[in-house]
Amino acid sequence: MIRLWLKQILAERYGRALGTAIGLALTVALFCTLGAFVTSASGAMTAHAVASVPVDWQVLVAPGADPMAIAQAIGSAAPPKELQAIGYAESAGFSAVTGETSQKTGPGKVLGIASDYYDRFPGQIQLLLGSLDGVLIAQQTAANLHVGPGDLVTIERIGASATQVTVAGVVALPNADAMFQAVGAPKGTAPQAPPDNVLIVPMPQWRTLFAPQAARSDTVRTEFHVRLDHTSLPPDPSAAFVQVQQMANNLEARVAGSAAVGNNLAAALDTARQDALYAQVLFLFLGTPGLVLAILFTLAVAAAGADRRRREQALLRLRGASLLQLIRLAGAEAMLVGLVGIMLGLALTQLTTLAWLPAGGAGYSLVWLPLVALTGLTVATAAFVLPAWREASQSTVSAARAQVAKKTCPLWQRLYLDLVCLTAAALAFWYTANSGYNIILATEGVTQVSVHYEAFIAPALLWLGSSLLWMRLTRLALGPGRAAVRIAIAPLAAGLTRIISASLARQHPRMAHGVALVALAFAFATSTAVFNTTYNAQSRVDAALTNGADVTVTGTATHQIGQLLADLRRISGVADAEPMMHRFAYVGSDLQDIFGIDPTQIGKATSLVDAYFDNHDVGRTLELLRQTRDGILVSEETVSDFQLQLGDTINLRLQDARDHQYHVVPFRFIGIVREFPTAPKDSFLVANASYLAEVTGGSAADIVLMRTVADPSAVAAAARTIVTAVPGAKVTTLGETQALISSNLTAVSLYGLTNIELAFAILMIGGTAGLVLALGLSERRQSFAVLTALGAKRRHRRAFLWSEGLLIVAGGTILGLVAGLGLTKVLVSILAGVFDPPPETLSIPWMYLGATVAGALVCSAAAIMIVEAHLEEPDLEMLRSG
Amino acid sequence: MTEPLVLANGVTRRFRHGDGVTNAVLPASFTVRDGDRIALIGASGSGKSTLVHLMAGLDQPSEGALCWPALGPRTSLRPEQVGVVFQTPSLIPTLSVLENVELPLLLAGREAYDAALAALGVVGLATLADKLPDDLSGGQAQRVAIARALAVCPRLILADEPTGQLDQATAALVVDGLLAFVSSSNAALVVATHDRTIANRMNTTWIMEHGNLHVAPAEAVA
Ligand SMILES: Nc1ncnc2c1ncn2[C@@H]1O[C@H](COP(=O)(O)OP(=O)(O)O)[C@@H](O)[C@H]1O
Ligand SMILES: [Mg+2]
Repeated sequence: MIRLWLKQILAERYGRALGTAIGLALTVALFCTLGAFVTSASGAMTAHAVASVPVDWQVLVAPGADPMAIAQAIGSAAPPKELQAIGYAESAGFSAVTGETSQKTGPGKVLGIASDYYDRFPGQIQLLLGSLDGVLIAQQTAANLHVGPGDLVTIERIGASATQVTVAGVVALPNADAMFQAVGAPKGTAPQAPPDNVLIVPMPQWRTLFAPQAARSDTVRTEFHVRLDHTSLPPDPSAAFVQVQQMANNLEARVAGSAAVGNNLAAALDTARQDALYAQVLFLFLGTPGLVLAILFTLAVAAAGADRRRREQALLRLRGASLLQLIRLAGAEAMLVGLVGIMLGLALTQLTTLAWLPAGGAGYSLVWLPLVALTGLTVATAAFVLPAWREASQSTVSAARAQVAKKTCPLWQRLYLDLVCLTAAALAFWYTANSGYNIILATEGVTQVSVHYEAFIAPALLWLGSSLLWMRLTRLALGPGRAAVRIAIAPLAAGLTRIISASLARQHPRMAHGVALVALAFAFATSTAVFNTTYNAQSRVDAALTNGADVTVTGTATHQIGQLLADLRRISGVADAEPMMHRFAYVGSDLQDIFGIDPTQIGKATSLVDAYFDNHDVGRTLELLRQTRDGILVSEETVSDFQLQLGDTINLRLQDARDHQYHVVPFRFIGIVREFPTAPKDSFLVANASYLAEVTGGSAADIVLMRTVADPSAVAAAARTIVTAVPGAKVTTLGETQALISSNLTAVSLYGLTNIELAFAILMIGGTAGLVLALGLSERRQSFAVLTALGAKRRHRRAFLWSEGLLIVAGGTILGLVAGLGLTKVLVSILAGVFDPPPETLSIPWMYLGATVAGALVCSAAAIMIVEAHLEEPDLEMLRSG
Repeated sequence: MTEPLVLANGVTRRFRHGDGVTNAVLPASFTVRDGDRIALIGASGSGKSTLVHLMAGLDQPSEGALCWPALGPRTSLRPEQVGVVFQTPSLIPTLSVLENVELPLLLAGREAYDAALAALGVVGLATLADKLPDDLSGGQAQRVAIARALAVCPRLILADEPTGQLDQATAALVVDGLLAFVSSSNAALVVATHDRTIANRMNTTWIMEHGNLHVAPAEAVA
């Protein structure tokens, strides 16, 4: 019997079975693709985190411990790929004599490294000037001492006489924070700032230099720098974090207190696992509505043939089929459709993941196979077996037609469930937004990460409430708002406006469902797209702050690039280039960056926004700075640290270019600055360049900011050829910086996610429009035959279809777009943690939304035309036989 | 004498299906004129509906000549001049009774409301104007279908078993309505039926037998 039934399905009802299978395929594919994205995003984040760490472990050998034993213990705890001993020695200070002046620094550090350290641990030391063969000096130290390659520097040893070395090269230490961390410091102590003064000496020379200092064992230490074997790390950042942490624990247990591990790799993975969790939460927030939509769509397709299946089932019952048999038949149908849908869905997933995931990402979707299969079969069962059971268990074979709505409105509408949901969503949102929480709580170093899942309540209620509200609004539009509907369809209705609008009003459940489905699809596409664009815009803001301008040229303290300004301005595609001074100033004992700008000109080369300043007014702040010759803008942190009041005089110590000594210079505190192009995130100062030049005896600019009107990378290339003359000068573009600093999240997948969701949304909008029109196709065919017999021309028949299509698609589009924007606003607030800095407004991707609307319209038009083609030949048969 | 409304000469209609052919109408020749009241009698499956559809211009003959000298070419026939009442319930379920009756008028671009209400009055259903087809009984629905056919004031009314699903009393009412209209407008009426009592109220009887049409000589009518 089952085989017969299935044969019949294939022969007669393949349309609906295929439609359901396609709906199911969409569900499965969306589920699988999202799953693959989450999995591959986690993997990529782990890889990203691992690659960002030049030295995985810094193992500090305790005074008196045997380094060989420690090295052996490392080998047994975690077989390393690289292992090198580094000497760290304290120095009382460095000094140098250049020309007639002599400079002296405060305490510093001298490292001893093996000659192949640069190759073994790339990224730790960057050569700026001179050669890596010999003694290297950190950039800032070189600037303080005013020395370069070939110059002599005196090292003041502790408990021994001073000694001299010759500088071979000037280097940058981009990883200084980790390099000079206090390994083994108790948890919770504030991280140590890296030393201002650093010299790096070849290991044999370092041993000779500091052998006399060995008596002071607190000033001379050995660290092992370790790179672990990364191939055995699990792809998930949390798992990788746990594994790396356990390996370190193992080592510390083995060495029993004679060494401590600075676990840089675990620290990086710790951040990554937070990002990964954010990614997962993001996918949940943005992807779940899509999944729900796909499932609803599938159920709606399956329900499209409900009338016919009801009749068939009634016939089978008359012939004596039992309830169980009916359910088995429906089950078999569900299985068949489910399997076909799952296969199609997997094929679709392969296509989408191949197109949008990085190489190798496609394999990730297979991880989700069991869950996906389960979902697919559950949905299929819900689509076939449930209605069969419900029908069969209802006693009579009622032939009630669902085409004309009953007068009563649904329970939820009478209970105002939509408004209740929306109110509850608002309350939940207000509560979450005001509780000052962070959706993801990952305490540093703690293995357990917690997610505030209650934050999902507000968006979930919002989705539910909006969907119900859409249906209510559709009913309102078709009822009391009929006049508006008539105006809307008048151009299509070919003189039948009144009748068509009345006819649509009587089919309000179908219309309401159609509008709600289309609106859901649009809200889904809109919220993802707007979220994604806002996210990218924020990462651009972040990059703009870091890079300073479209293209930025940075010189070194010894070689400034200010004199090249005229040349840089002449590059084609440069709208303007403005110089900026960058010096260091002591605020008390704290060395801070100080920027000298021309407040009237700086805005030409870089974009300053109100949010950068505490008073939220760029214009006023810059004007005040212009009027106050000795004015200075101070960062928030410094203001609170030093209890400053506006108008106070602040005495800073600045290095004079003439004698290279620090002198006290008074400034007037006129405002608080939060962010500034190229400035660090914590504390810095901004003053007038003219005043800064006057008090330091030098006006040379260290930074040139350039605004471009052409491709920034072309401008950057031209700038690079100009600055080759200046050793150590760097040219960076906004795009490069963004790629460098943007978090794992953007780097991995938001772009791909949006594309996938766009494709799904368009398909589903078109599918929904077609589906709603195809619902009750047999009844409609009869109506069309009557219409034709009564003299309806093609344009009249089309008027009915297109008016309906227009209402569903246009209504759904408008409602969906509006709701999508609202939803994104809520999402952005709830997920504020992924933004740095949080956005002030949403960025709306008009192009993308336009494309979605256009795609949806084309798809819907195609769907309407397919239905129309099905109804083209009026069927006289319908009017003949009883 | 005015031109005939329908003029058929050797008209046939064959249906092909798969391996066989059904001759629904064998060569038939006939004339329908203003004021004719014709009963088309025949068993189920004898070809009545097929013939009615041919006369209505909804279907085309396989052979023979069929024309409407007084009405114009086939394409311009409906719905202005020919009103058809179908055998099956043919009201559009999402339109009210009144809107159903208005439909042919609107499709013809004519003023609809008053004419539709008047037509409903003729079949005695003006009070049901705002009801939906699903709320009507079979007889009421068929009378609405008749009102819809009458609303355009046709010169020819073709009714395909309009009383097939009705009890005797209701059937009589429906026929009363039809006859009242044709007698006032001098329109021609063709009623396909297998009910002798209805046939008796017409003034001509055509008999359909396995696709063969037996037309009584025209002189007998006059
Ligand atoms: N569209 C069609 N396709 C095939 N056969 C048809 C079609 N329409 C009518 N027939 C056949 O033509 C014959 C006459 O049908 P019909 O005109 O409906 O008879 P009646 O109205 O007298 O019951 C029947 O045998 C019927 O099966
Ligand atoms: Mg018939």
